[in-house]
Amino acid sequence: MSVVLTARELTRHYDVSQGVFKPHATVRALNGVSFELEAGKTLAVVGESGCGKSTLARQLTLIEEPSSGSLKIAGQEVAGATKEQRKQLRRDVQMVFQSPYASLNPRQKIGDQLGEPLLINTSLSKAERREKVQAMMQQVGLRPEHYQRYPHMFSGGQRQRIALARAMMLQPKVLVADEPTSALDVSIQAQVLNLFMDLQQQYQTAYVFISHNLAVVRHVADDVLVMYLGRPAEMGPKEDLYHNPLHPYTQALLSATPTIKPNPDKPRIKIAGELPNPLNPPSGCAFHKRCPYATEKCVTDVPAFRPVGTRQVACHYAEQFLK
Amino acid sequence: MSLLEIKNLSVRFGDASAVPVVDGLDLTVDRGQVLAIVGESGSGKSVTMMALMGLVEAPGIVSADALRFDGHDMLQLSKRQRRQVVGKDLAMIFQDPMTALNPSYTVGFQIEEVLRAHLGLSGRAARARALELLQKVEIPAAASRLDAYPHQLSGGMSQRVAIAMAIAAEPKLLIADEPTTALDVTIQAQIMELLLALQKDQDMGLILITHDLAVVAETAQRVCVMYAGQAVEVGHVPQLFDAPAHPYSEALLAAIPEHSEGAERLSTLPGIVPGRYDRPQGCLLSPRCPYVQENCRVQRPALDPKAQSLARCFYPRNQEVA
Repeated sequence: MSVVLTARELTRHYDVSQGVFKPHATVRALNGVSFELEAGKTLAVVGESGCGKSTLARQLTLIEEPSSGSLKIAGQEVAGATKEQRKQLRRDVQMVFQSPYASLNPRQKIGDQLGEPLLINTSLSKAERREKVQAMMQQVGLRPEHYQRYPHMFSGGQRQRIALARAMMLQPKVLVADEPTSALDVSIQAQVLNLFMDLQQQYQTAYVFISHNLAVVRHVADDVLVMYLGRPAEMGPKEDLYHNPLHPYTQALLSATPTIKPNPDKPRIKIAGELPNPLNPPSGCAFHKRCPYATEKCVTDVPAFRPVGTRQVACHYAEQFLK
Repeated sequence: MSLLEIKNLSVRFGDASAVPVVDGLDLTVDRGQVLAIVGESGSGKSVTMMALMGLVEAPGIVSADALRFDGHDMLQLSKRQRRQVVGKDLAMIFQDPMTALNPSYTVGFQIEEVLRAHLGLSGRAARARALELLQKVEIPAAASRLDAYPHQLSGGMSQRVAIAMAIAAEPKLLIADEPTTALDVTIQAQIMELLLALQKDQDMGLILITHDLAVVAETAQRVCVMYAGQAVEVGHVPQLFDAPAHPYSEALLAAIPEHSEGAERLSTLPGIVPGRYDRPQGCLLSPRCPYVQENCRVQRPALDPKAQSLARCFYPRNQEVA
């Protein structure tokens, strides 16, 4: 299989003003994230709000320039790409957003919204565009008469289908989906997730699936990347990560996720407190203040993101948890 | 007699011929019980609780055979009388903690307001009690948080403050409307644990409105599944999850990704909830139900009180198991 997306030490820092006479502070929103993604595979990115998931999405979709690190899309290096190359890169990476209520233009008909990517990026005639749009609409389960309708006439689930159809119009190599089902009810969520899977199978698109719902991630992902405060905490194949989480944060996340088959004998790993202030992150391991296993070393030394077994983990004591 | 008794509650918006948003709902809750109401958006979960608290405004019409809470007939209370019950014996926590608090006042002031209005506390006594409440909801450095404004708190902290306000007057019944939907999963676990501890500690009744079935499985004793304004199944928690009687409960459970572990596709219920103009004549689920029969399309089933698990269906599922 061909690798379509390669990120190396991707980093994004933001300068934030603290007031007129104070020096600017730096938020390290994304700190050294590396991964490879093959065509037809799904990488899920999970973590709490503020962990850098959406910042990562903004780098991958070329909405922002990374502060450092390199990003390769379909073999093409993003940094230093010419204007023409960038235009092609933007065709290759498309995005589906969290809220289908905010991501569709309320004043534009569905047919026009779906046809716009073709209008901008291809030289197809009006009739050809219309034909392609209608084929895609059928594929995502919309009826032909929906072509003339406006977004407000659709339910949340239908709107997310439209958003997905729009992202797939140019048959991108990579689709970045930022919490695509968290605004939907569970029965609608199932329909939309199935659609995601069907389209991936047909077009062999690589998905970067950002979510905080570990049950959803378990269903869609091949690999999972767990992030904490801008840094990767653990990355590896889904089954290994769910059966034997190595990073204490991954363990806590899995343990905190409610399940329909609760096991009263299984003790909950409790983590106290909340995500620390990213302006003033803790020394050493960013997780040490909430970690039940933290030691002296964790307070002083930043753990390297290193291979352990089938995975990569940023914890000094990952081997101890390996089963 | 139950703490809360709802009989045949209907809520309509518009005139009496309008399609009911809540249709013939029966519910009871006792002290010390946790009842969960689950359903998709638009199924009438929140409107039911609004009706109970008298928050449904014109053109909304609330009608019921009984709407009794703690000996009060909630339909007959005057506004002044209702104000003495709501917020004191009957309190509510809302979904979005960021909008539930008033941004212009400190957290301490807002908690003290409840104490002033319902318990007659003032000055130092109110301040001391407010501090106690913040400690009770496990806010770190509670004394310094009393003077914080809501924007200075994170989502989880704001929800803790909202809980502190709700339990300030030691209510008998607490209604939590999607209390953790806006929060991260680790914070959700903390908040649910806190809510259940408080519920046990103060022997409150707790109504938990949610669309997350996993939260229900972990917390509630009884569950009421709503669909298009009707309660379609009422049952006890492990039983309803093991052997759902109504096809809708069954489909809802099957749609959870956790349920189809390892499968390629998730099982789904085709179509969407009927709107006000396309309500079917028979069973409301009949256009989407995989087990639909001829009479389902013509007649509307009732909740059968004789069945073990109450389900609004002519052909309930999993009966041999139950």
